[in-house]
Amino acid sequence: MFWTVTLSILQGCSQAVKLFFLTLLFALPLGLVVAFGSMSKWAPFRSLAYRQQEARGFARWLSQLRPLSALTNIIVWIIRGTPLILQLIIIFYGPGTWFGTNPWNAFRDGRMTACCIAFIINYACYFSVIYRGGIEGVPAGQREAGEVLGLTKRQIFFKITLLQMVKRVIPPMSNEIITLVKDTSLARTIAIIEITMAGEAFMKSKGITWPLFYTGVFYLAFVGLLTLLFSFIERKLSYFK
Amino acid sequence: MSILTVQHLEKHFENTKVLNDISFSLEEGQALSIIGSSGSGKTTLLRCLNFLETPDAGTITVQDKVLFDADHHANCSEKEIRKNRLHFGMVFQSFNLFPQYTALENVTLARELMAKDTGESKDAIRAAGMELLDQMGLADRAGHYPHQLSGGQQQRVAIARALALHPDILCFDEPTSALDPELTGEVLKVIRGLAEQKTTMIIVTHEMAFARDVADQVIFMDGGFIVEQGDPKQVIDHPQEERTKQFLARFAENN
Repeated sequence: MFWTVTLSILQGCSQAVKLFFLTLLFALPLGLVVAFGSMSKWAPFRSLAYRQQEARGFARWLSQLRPLSALTNIIVWIIRGTPLILQLIIIFYGPGTWFGTNPWNAFRDGRMTACCIAFIINYACYFSVIYRGGIEGVPAGQREAGEVLGLTKRQIFFKITLLQMVKRVIPPMSNEIITLVKDTSLARTIAIIEITMAGEAFMKSKGITWPLFYTGVFYLAFVGLLTLLFSFIERKLSYFK
Repeated sequence: MSILTVQHLEKHFENTKVLNDISFSLEEGQALSIIGSSGSGKTTLLRCLNFLETPDAGTITVQDKVLFDADHHANCSEKEIRKNRLHFGMVFQSFNLFPQYTALENVTLARELMAKDTGESKDAIRAAGMELLDQMGLADRAGHYPHQLSGGQQQRVAIARALALHPDILCFDEPTSALDPELTGEVLKVIRGLAEQKTTMIIVTHEMAFARDVADQVIFMDGGFIVEQGDPKQVIDHPQEERTKQFLARFAENN
């Protein structure tokens, strides 16, 4: 029995691990793009009011509008403001209900694909806020020092800001990534047999509950490894302050 | 011929005018000290020269080349601004060293990034960086990270970093204000040494005695205006304007 359960949970693990790594692989860089979007100062209507302090009412509002930043913030609000489980259901079942055929069937593993997309969008939004905090936490003097040395914006970001940002975001990121481990259990909503569902199956079929506790061991081991990894990275980055 | 000419520079933030009709010139090899109380616009002026702020009016000319003209600034590309910046070096009050790089790497970073265009070899850049650190008395600290250095040492690294790009004019923004009194001496000594080597400098400072000794010219600013400018001995020891007298008298009381 023990081996049957273990094998079943390990199969669930492979699904969870796949979801976990694919989400990180895409959400980590996408989060940075979203962060830049939300920090964008692009204001295409600025010229409508030559001197902003003289504009009034609608003209002033329009001249100060940063469409990219506003749009990004609305998206982040919607994604962070609704449950991931709801997003997952809408992304997987929505298109099929609206258009008659489920587009996810076109993929080799449509359920996993849909699940990854929901997770990537959701986590990218959370990551973006963490990144923004990390970038804004780097003192303005660092950027200015780069500017007076004639560096380009790109050089300033990659050679000066990035590593300082990474150091700052490790603790909040570790929180979010640990949450991701446990959120993989939501995949069962669209019938992906992940760890929790694999364990629960034995309660339903055999009336035993110990596999439920046993699944906890897998989560703990996973999170334990991640904790070690994060403290390793933190140590690696402790050579500067 | 002046190396730097600033004419009718103006700057406002929202509705506050922080720089009013600022005009002055500086000869090559001379040191200019800018004194005045906090909020008088000294730092903003330096930031305008380094293009960290964009003036609203006026011109900045270096060696006959107009680097900035408020009337034609809109079509100035980022690349041009970057190039123009290199005429000036900047030493900040809070050092602003890059914490993830060693002292030497802080000095060589910009030149290494530019090596693609200049074709300088990495070894040559490193050697030049070591020489600068040596000149600052920090040869034995080259491999240290900023947090391992004292404030005075950090500021000297920052000076070496600014010198590495051979600016025409080196600007100091209250270089000793963030330092313990016992650490200001080592930084002032370095700046004094640069003055003896005829480095063209603009120094915003609260160290009156230092300004008088080192500067060839002093500007006293108040409320965004240049109130008085001239020979340091005249401005600091025999001020003509009422406002300058008040400032110096209060300064003398506090010291």
